[in-house]
Amino acid sequence: MSQAVNPALSITKKEKRSPSELGLRSITFIYFAVMILIPLVVIFQDGFREGWQEFWRQINLPIAAHAIQLTLWTSALMTLVNGVMGLATAYVLVRYEFPGKRLINAIVDLPLAIPTLVTGVMLVILYGPQRALGAFLKEELGFRVIFAPPGIVLALLFITLPFVVRTIQPVLMDVDRAQENAAATLGASNWVIFWRIVFPSILLPLLNGVLLSFARAVGEFGSVVIVAGNIPMVSQVAAVYVLGEVESENRLGASAVSIVLMTIAFGMLSISDWLYKRWER
Amino acid sequence: MFSKLRKTFLFSLLVIALITTGCSANVTATEVSSTEAPATGGEVKLTLAAYTTPREAYGEVIPAFQAYWKEKTGQTVTFEESYLGSGAQSRAVVDGFEADVVALSLEADITRIEKAGLITHDWKSTASKGMVSNSVVAFAVRKGNPLGIKDWADLAKPDLEILTPNPRTSGGAQWNILALYGSLLQGKVAGVPADDPEAAHAFVVNLLKNVTVMDKGARESITNFEQGVGDVAITYENEVLVGQQAGQDYELVIPSSTILIQNPVAVVDTYADKHGTREVAEAFVNFLLTPEAQEIFAHHGLRSIDDGVAEETADQYPAVPGLFTIDYFGGWSKATPDYFGEEGIFIQAMLEAQVPTTE
Repeated sequence: MSQAVNPALSITKKEKRSPSELGLRSITFIYFAVMILIPLVVIFQDGFREGWQEFWRQINLPIAAHAIQLTLWTSALMTLVNGVMGLATAYVLVRYEFPGKRLINAIVDLPLAIPTLVTGVMLVILYGPQRALGAFLKEELGFRVIFAPPGIVLALLFITLPFVVRTIQPVLMDVDRAQENAAATLGASNWVIFWRIVFPSILLPLLNGVLLSFARAVGEFGSVVIVAGNIPMVSQVAAVYVLGEVESENRLGASAVSIVLMTIAFGMLSISDWLYKRWER
Repeated sequence: MFSKLRKTFLFSLLVIALITTGCSANVTATEVSSTEAPATGGEVKLTLAAYTTPREAYGEVIPAFQAYWKEKTGQTVTFEESYLGSGAQSRAVVDGFEADVVALSLEADITRIEKAGLITHDWKSTASKGMVSNSVVAFAVRKGNPLGIKDWADLAKPDLEILTPNPRTSGGAQWNILALYGSLLQGKVAGVPADDPEAAHAFVVNLLKNVTVMDKGARESITNFEQGVGDVAITYENEVLVGQQAGQDYELVIPSSTILIQNPVAVVDTYADKHGTREVAEAFVNFLLTPEAQEIFAHHGLRSIDDGVAEETADQYPAVPGLFTIDYFGGWSKATPDYFGEEGIFIQAMLEAQVPTTE
């Protein structure tokens, strides 16, 4: 996620680069390479060590392909819900005053701190077929939540909740209220004010948050492995499939599917970056 | 200016190159970090890398061995214990976790270490052929067995919820599936003729339609069952017995035909020699096979490999009429690819069971 850089603060090209700048840049570049770049290169090397064809075959094995598809559609569904509800949450937290607001504001970040495994266990306790709520849904409505795709979406929603809220919140706080007030005096309804004035100014942060949460979701393992049921071709997501391939000595298959996940995540983050760049202009 | 930039870049590349070549040894970290010194005088340290199931048993066996060794040699043995899933533990040892002794769930995990050249002796030359404990694949059912589940044939009935771990994520789960196939192919399952792979396949497909949760390991699977999920868990006898000891009220059902689970143990030659612990490591492995240690294993749900102890505990561990071993499938080196490989028999059944999805 790149933040807007104030041109006045950035060093112009003609200025001489100081030794300290060069040193710091070298250090960060080496750090970045060691921590991120090299491990990524290793995975790519591993996934392609037997060529494109084998890579393609590995990701098209029926169980692998299904796992990737399941990951993508559950993540997409989560993203949709998260986009709408995250926006609403951010709006409520910024614009309204109500008792417990500070507490809710503090709780928003909690999913980042809770081990995702715990998230999974908690959801099983809440929606599991043996608990009141889960049993009701299953018996009365024939709707299985846990050990089925809906459980995956729930888990993903939980862990990615902060992303949309926290990217929108600061921007929403900075929105100039004068325009809104003017529109209100001219007789615009709240709805019109929101769509015509507020929404355009937070559209990019919204997209950014949504793409971030999608990227985060495709790689999620800890909570999903608990709630999904993990039946190949039904409820096994890509990250759990990768574990199976590692455990079964098929590292090539594991790396190949990981590359697909990473490429998708990278694509999302690049789009988000590109949108920001366009926005700055 | 550009040359300066280039220099930075080139320097960074050089550092990266150095790091990558230096990293090619490929060392993986494990739970326990160990920096061993060779055995000196009155104290010696032994690192045990085990799978998770016998953790409680080792908690009792190790003090017994420490007392035994102290009395015999005057030396104090300290233990560093690491418990992980069998496959993960095996790979950790291969990647440089310097354990003197490995105790794992299945032979294939020892074979991996052997193939890496770290175990060089004939570890199967002990009286028990390298094994330290046994168990059998069995079912856990709800209290009072309300669905009347007695044997494999009952598991393919409609409207049943079965839990069994995924054999791709858990090597130990392969025991469960092979117990099923072995029983089917030997004609021990009602309605399925012997030596009829197609009938066996059809049965497995039907049974798989009842499987609602495939956890990543045996422990997660039984934990889910304890949470109230499912009607039957295909698991190991020892998991059920340990659960019952801990106060769980589910019941154990041993099918009329099942596979004998054999858990191996071995000294890792390379590391034991490096640490100078060969003598005590070998003594520990031998101690595990004594009646004293075997009784401890028997208390923790595991069948004994010692004939005397097995006879004493026969009430608790009834003989299974149709018991077979991994040899029926030609050993692990054949069973794993045949059943769980990319085109494996079980993988095919799994694909067929889920297409079309009737959820």
